[in-house]
Order: sequence, then C-alpha cells, then structure tokens
Amino acid sequence: MRKLCGVVVLIIAAVLLAQAGIPIKVTLTMMVAGDQNMVDFFQYEIAPEFEKLYPNVKVKVVGTGPGDAGSQQIIQQLQLEKDSGKDKWAIDLVVIHEAGAIWAIERGLIRQYTDFLTTRRLVTMKTAEVALGVNVNGYVMPMFHSQTAIAYNPRFVKNPPKSYAELVEWVKKNPKKFGYNGIKGGMSGVSFVFGWVYWKSKNPDVLMNGPFDEKYMEDWPQIYAELKEFNKYVTLTSGNAGTLDALNRGEIWMGPVWVDMFYTWIREGRMDPNIRLILPEPGMPGQPMYFAIPTKAANADYALKMIELVTSPAVHAKYIVDRFNWYPAIGIEYVSPYLSKEVFDRLYRDIKEEELLKFGKRMPIADYRTRMLEAYEKWVEK
Amino acid sequence: MNQARLRASPFFLEDEIMRRRKELMVGFLLILPALTVLVTLYVYPLVLSIYMSFVAQGRFSLANYLKVFEIYWRDIIYSVAISLVATAVTLGLSIGVSGYLRFKSWKFLEIMYKLPLFIPFLIVGHAMRVFLAPHGTLNNLLTRILRIEELPGLSRSWIGLVWAFVWVMTPYAALIVLGAFRSLDNAYIEAARNLGASRWKIVFDVLIPMCRPSIMVAFILTFVRTISSLTIPIMVGPASPNMITVNMMFRVNYFNDWGTANALGVISYLIVMVFAIYYLKFMAAERGGIKA
Repeated sequence: MRKLCGVVVLIIAAVLLAQAGIPIKVTLTMMVAGDQNMVDFFQYEIAPEFEKLYPNVKVKVVGTGPGDAGSQQIIQQLQLEKDSGKDKWAIDLVVIHEAGAIWAIERGLIRQYTDFLTTRRLVTMKTAEVALGVNVNGYVMPMFHSQTAIAYNPRFVKNPPKSYAELVEWVKKNPKKFGYNGIKGGMSGVSFVFGWVYWKSKNPDVLMNGPFDEKYMEDWPQIYAELKEFNKYVTLTSGNAGTLDALNRGEIWMGPVWVDMFYTWIREGRMDPNIRLILPEPGMPGQPMYFAIPTKAANADYALKMIELVTSPAVHAKYIVDRFNWYPAIGIEYVSPYLSKEVFDRLYRDIKEEELLKFGKRMPIADYRTRMLEAYEKWVEK
Repeated sequence: MNQARLRASPFFLEDEIMRRRKELMVGFLLILPALTVLVTLYVYPLVLSIYMSFVAQGRFSLANYLKVFEIYWRDIIYSVAISLVATAVTLGLSIGVSGYLRFKSWKFLEIMYKLPLFIPFLIVGHAMRVFLAPHGTLNNLLTRILRIEELPGLSRSWIGLVWAFVWVMTPYAALIVLGAFRSLDNAYIEAARNLGASRWKIVFDVLIPMCRPSIMVAFILTFVRTISSLTIPIMVGPASPNMITVNMMFRVNYFNDWGTANALGVISYLIVMVFAIYYLKFMAAERGGIKA
C-alpha cells in the first residue's frame, strides 16, 4: 500500500514538473501611437513573425492615433493602471513619441530596461539618450527615425535651392510653386516651420535642447513676420498627403514631405518616381518613435523579446527600411548587409547618411514647440 | 350600506394613492432607459465640456475664452458665415428641386438628388479635393475646352468649401422640403392655378409660406450639420481661416489642450442655440396661430 502511494505521489510530481516546462499562454498587449501604418506594421508584419518564434504568445495591437495626442492616450491608460495599485499591469509594451516618453518618465510609468537589450549597442543616433532636451537614456529604445525633407520635381526645377535662404529667393522667382500644408494639416508643414525658425533664430540649439526661457523668443516676431511675407509666394496645401498630391499633379514644384511617406507612395505607384528629395541647410527636424516597457508590465520578458526582434538587423532591414521606408534606428552599417543595393540606394540616393546626421535636426523642446505653433496661429495666419 | 361606504372610503382613498404611486413608478421605470441614455451620453458630456472650458492650468478661469477671442475670433465669424452661405445655397437648390418635382415627375432627378445621401463625408471631401484642385478633374476639363493654360483651383478656398457643403447637404434638405410640398393638399394649388398663377408664383406664394415650418427645420438641420462638420473643412477648406471644428482638433492633437477646445465647443453650442431658440419660438407661435 505504502509503495503504491509513493508511486502515485511520484507520478503526480512528474506530471506537475512536466507541466511547468510547457509555456503558458500569454497575450502580449501593446499600445501604439502613430498613424495607421504603425498599427499595420505590428499587426500584419511583426505579430505573425513573433508568434512564429513564440507559439504560446498572442500579440494584441491597440492603436491610439497619430501625433502627441496618441501618446497622451497611452500615458492616460498607464496612469490608470498605476492608480489602480495592481501588481501586474495589462499593458506590456508601448510605442510612443518623444513627448510621450518624457511624460511617462516624469510619472514613473515606464521602466529602465535597455541595459538588457543587445541591440541597444547598435544605436548610433543621439535620440536614444536625449528626447526634446530631456535625458531618457535607459528608458527607451528607438524603433526608427523619420525625417522631413523637401521634395522637388526635376522636370521643372533643374537646380533646387540647397538652403532655406536660397528657397526664399527661389519662391520669389517662381511664385506659388512651392507648397506646404501650414501647421494644421500634419507634421510635414509643422517641420518646415520649425526648420524656418531654427534657420532664423540666433539660438537654434537652445530651442532644440533647452533650457526654456522666454528671452530666447525675443527675435520671434521678426522671424514670423518674414515667414508671413514668404507665405505670400507659396501655395498652402491640404495635409501631408495634399502636398504629395499637388506635387504629383504638377500644381507645385517643391514642398516639404515625410521621407517615409514619400518613398512608400513611390513604391505603391502613387507618386511620380522622378521626384527627388533634398534636405536644405541648416536642416529640418525629424523624430524617432520609441519602444518603452511599462513599470509593472505583466509580460515584460516577452516585450523585451519583441523589441529585440524589431531592432535586430535582419528584421530591421526587411521591415523598417525596405517595407516601410523609415530610417533605421540602429547604425546603417549593421543593416546594410541585409539590404539589396536597390533598397539601399532608394533610401540614401538623395539624402546621404552624412547629410542626415548633419542636417537632420531634432524637434524643439516641448515648451518652445507649443509656443512656436501658437505664434504661427497668431502672427502668420492673421 | 351608507355607513359601510363611509368606512370604506379612507381605504379607498389610500388605495387610490397607492395605485397612483404605482403608476408613477411604472411610468418612471418605463422612461428610465431612455433617460439613462440621455443623461450619460448627452447631459453629462455637455456639462463636462462646459465645465472643462473654464478650467485652465488646473484652475477655474476665463483664460481659455480669452485665448479663443485672441486667436480664433476671426475663425468663429468665418465659420458662421460659411455655414450661412452654404445653408442659403442649399435651401435655394432644394426648394428649386422640390418645386420642380412637386409639379412634374422626373425619375432621373428623383434618383440623382438623393445620391449624395449615401456617400460618406470623408469620401466627398476627398473627391472634392481631387475634383476642384488646380490641376484637378474640373480644371483639366475646362482648360481643354477653353484652351487656357492655367486656371486657379477651387479647393483650398472658401468657394470650394461651400461647394462641397452644398453637395452633401442638399439631399437632406430637399427630402424634408419635398416631403412637405407633397403633403400639401392639392386643393390650394388648384385654386391658385384657377386664378391664373404660374408655377413659380405658386411655389413662392403658396408652397413656401405654407411649408415654412418644414423649411425652417431643413434650415436649422443644414446649418447645424455644416458648422459641426470636421472632415470636409480639413480636406477642402483653406489653410486659414479655419472652421471652429478644425481649430478644436488642432488644440487637442497638437497641444493636448482640452480647455480651449471645449471653449470653442461651447461657443459653437451658443451659436447653434441662437437658431434653436428662434426655431422653438417660431414653432410655438405657429402652433398658437393654428389653434386660434
């Protein structure tokens, strides 16, 4: 009898031990700020890859919409989780903008994790350490970099202006042939305005890195008055897509665009492939998107694996660069072995990497950013 | 017998009160679902948005309204003006269509005027911006016919905006107006005709005055839907000035500034309310008139 009991206990123990080895079902919940293409990227490209690698994991992607408002929604959700006092939060991974990362760090909503990330060492851009003038080192891993630039149609523009100063001369000779979307129709127009202020300001570095002080805004009325004068010679288009459309129809010959959107349109045959890009001196802003892990994420280990996957050179090359035309978050030397020459040339044909590092500016810090937009409303739109 | 009734009466009264109460309870329970929906989905957000419009930087203040008047006063006037123009053109068109269809049957027009009903605003916005662009469908056609090199585009201008609004709003307004015209007794029209009135005279002197309440409804619905539309102004409207809704979106998306956005919202309620009150007064007068 006793023997039998011992055998039964052994069997039960063995079964239990075996059970422990079987991975339990996990749902990896991620919230993604940004346009629909970001949600599609995770839902249809990355989630299937990840689920193939980890069959016990189901990836759930929630999109919260473009702009800082999208990041803001994610922060609100995380704050709710924090306020509930739970030990395990329902959100495992977030993808946020620079401003969102700062808000989240201030409120203790995301954790330091990048020391555990092997791909963190491949990052060459400064944005992994500083966002809008705030130290974010350790909390975030860039997912990609997106950049604005000026597109031009070589059929009409043989020698494109290479700087903002030359552009001002150019629009006077070619009135209404430069177009941008103001500040209410999307970030490509906003970036053009930020670039304008950087160009004219005496302290562009302060605007990008801080500190915030109203004394650095003293020259703004003059800067915006000149922008208003410039606007007399340009066409105002409707939205990021509106600028691309107008370029495509030949209504305008030049205009600021997002590089990734521009190449995606060309790849999909929605854009004249002869149109080229130039990044004018002294530069236009771009921005990264960040991966971050909530402080008490229930499945932080899988979140880390997800980040590792997306930022690994092979996946980065295939999806971030080739499929979605973003600039890589990790150094191009690690990605290029996985890129065909054609893809590499497509992304770096017009804007070389050195130009990108030199003229690719940051967005202004949050306090200046708000005031720059409001200044445009007050002084230019009137 | 008499005594028995007297003795019973207090009980009877009590019963009556109980019965009334029960009826009241049942009545209340019956409207409760509707009331809940109304309070949670309409009254609560309304009160909340009015409250939030007075909160700036965590404190109760008028700062949001000051900001609205500093930056957006021109846009408010612009929104009202655009909505009024679009509504006027819409009403004119729908009265024209309805007046025609009241007397003559034309299957083609009957179908065509309803067609835009089934097309979402977003699609209309995009269609219009391609159609009215400087090198858009309309101008490509015109430049070929007129043999002129370049024509200015109507998209990104107030004319294009009004055009798009009229295009989407006319079917709704025409449905209301035509319904009213058709429900009017033929006797009035025949009487007018016997006296030698032309068709347009009948429309202006008989149909429109007798269907004024319905036309007012069409007016107010069109106005409210125009001033509250976001997609069409974003896609077709000029970069500046903007409709109120575009500024609200901008405030929320770029500044996360719900205070000023709500202040703009409250101002648009007030604008709409002016018309709503006028309408209610008008309707009351109309009903009183009929009774008398």
